Amino acid sequence: MSDAAHAHDDHGHHAHPTGIMRWLTTTNHKDIGSLYLWFSLIMLFTAGSMALLIRSELFEPGMQLMHPDFFNQLTTMHGLIMIFGVIMPAFTGFANWQVPLMIGAPDMAFPRMNNWSFWLLPVAGIMLLGSFWLPGGAVAGGWTMYPPLFIQGGVSYDLTILAVHIMGLSSIMGSINIITTILNMRAPGLTLMKMPMFVWTWLITAYLLIATMPVLAGAVTMLLTDRNFGTHFFNAAGGGDPVMFQHIFWFFGHPEVYILILPAFGIVSQIIPTFSRKPLFGYASMVYATASIAILSFTVWAHHMFAVGMPVAAQLFFMFSTMLIAVPTGVKVFNWVATMWKGSLTFETPMLFAIAFVCLFTIGGFSGLVLAMAPVDIQLQDTYYVVAHFHYVLVSGALFSIFAGIYYWLPKWTGHMYNETLGKTHFWLSVIGMNIVFFPMHFLGLAGMPRRIPDYALQFTEFNQIATVGAFIFGFSQLVFLVLVLKTIKGGAKASDQVWEGAQGLEWTVPSPAPYHTFETAPVVK
Amino acid sequence: MAEKGNLRAALAVFWSFFGVRKRRDYDDDAQSLTQAQIIIAGLIGGVVFVLTLLLVVYLVLQFVK
Ligand code: HEM
Ligand SMILES: [Cu+2]
Repeated sequence: MSDAAHAHDDHGHHAHPTGIMRWLTTTNHKDIGSLYLWFSLIMLFTAGSMALLIRSELFEPGMQLMHPDFFNQLTTMHGLIMIFGVIMPAFTGFANWQVPLMIGAPDMAFPRMNNWSFWLLPVAGIMLLGSFWLPGGAVAGGWTMYPPLFIQGGVSYDLTILAVHIMGLSSIMGSINIITTILNMRAPGLTLMKMPMFVWTWLITAYLLIATMPVLAGAVTMLLTDRNFGTHFFNAAGGGDPVMFQHIFWFFGHPEVYILILPAFGIVSQIIPTFSRKPLFGYASMVYATASIAILSFTVWAHHMFAVGMPVAAQLFFMFSTMLIAVPTGVKVFNWVATMWKGSLTFETPMLFAIAFVCLFTIGGFSGLVLAMAPVDIQLQDTYYVVAHFHYVLVSGALFSIFAGIYYWLPKWTGHMYNETLGKTHFWLSVIGMNIVFFPMHFLGLAGMPRRIPDYALQFTEFNQIATVGAFIFGFSQLVFLVLVLKTIKGGAKASDQVWEGAQGLEWTVPSPAPYHTFETAPVVK
Repeated sequence: MAEKGNLRAALAVFWSFFGVRKRRDYDDDAQSLTQAQIIIAGLIGGVVFVLTLLLVVYLVLQFVK
């Protein structure tokens, strides 16, 4: 941190290239963290624009704006990019910035691999987005990539399969880096049991990624060989089975949804204690609950397939296991509430997003439980009820936690406080907008409106119009966020090292903005 | 000693599936259990979880028929 410390740094940072080469060649965890976060923000606006196009078409029944096939391309790409291009990279960005700062390590364990993990992502992003301009347009078979549609499509389907491979590679390398860093580079005295919750959740998420990405890779490789090399894994005419794809995909897919939410649990578990000025209630149970969610998440996959036709025994099994996995998740909600109980609460923007997370994620958890009941799900499968469910857990869950984390750590990263009025404006517009878009979708689903459909029956019109209005409120209020971030980087009130009165942990012991190199000599944790 | 440790590991995993653990017990676990013990207990716990569910499903179907 001090100049004296830098003098020992023989591959000193003074020699680093500047301009674009700095970012292309960087091995610094803070640079790479920023790259991930910027990539994620750009993709958020890209996939968000697609969502607004989708909602515009759905403002009225009938076809107004686009060809139905283009509509399907939009829903598919919106899903793929939001999951692989926005939520996952954003969490990896947080991991890069925060894990070394929180465990007192000078950098990630494998800095060069770290660089490669990131730069693979824009490559995959270009392959995905570029396919809009190829013959036949982008993939239109849904983000779940089910055959037979995914076997029949044109060249963009091959490109998408390769892009998924590349993103998987990036995730696996990122996970190896994170696991090694956490297990080997903690400051003396920082035992596993003293690790901040965010570090714990990422450790477990990284294991989940390493376990599931190869499964996804296997599934899409089989698609690839079915498409190009004459195999018939998923082709019933050739003795294959399209339902097998669904089993393999969801064996990856359900743990994947926990990959999308565990780091969110981690971020919220940092923020709520800070603004309640109390330690996290039940830290131990939080760690245990996270670990058990990870293990049990491998036993529930067929709840996505109740409607394909399964023996009753299988339906019962997956129904019971799905309902049981909600128990450790529910325990976490109780822990956050108990942390706030009798605390000295203040409601800065990070806390507002964290509280909204707790309330709204719970709604998503409840609709998940409704869907977990096989007889109910057979009615609701592939309706807007499912769309409402996963947007409550992913928008007001994962995305809100990302906003909360940005507001929480941005002062540490930039050295400036963000503008609280702007932050609160962004918060209220987002919460209100989000609920206007997604709450009516429960009603639409219960009334039977199918998902992934560009046209609908007249009786669904009103709720669709409400949802579209909400979507535009939500979408455009993200511009407030963009302005806020840019303003905070440029200037603003000077942030103290501690930043938040109740904040605890190693990251708050370094100056704000965090210097390019931190913890060159490891701190000692008592 | 070893046997007691295994029991402890099984208990720790049981509580983790429920998602609740007293701070003091957790600290004791952390003191007395090795990582390998917990991982093995976790995997066995997963298998036991699945087998128990299968048993429940089997019983339910017996009852319904
Ligand atoms: C209480 C915990 C949860 C339960 C019981 C649950 C249950 C379910 C069920 C049964 C479905 C299948 C619905 C259908 O297709 O008919 C489903 C879909 C989905 N869930 Fe959850 N869920 C839970 C939490 C989560 C979380 C935390 C996430 C992500 C952060 C998530 C993301 C999704 C997604 C993306 C889908 C739709 C996939 C698709 O078909 O495109 N869920 N959930
Ligand atoms: Cu699932």
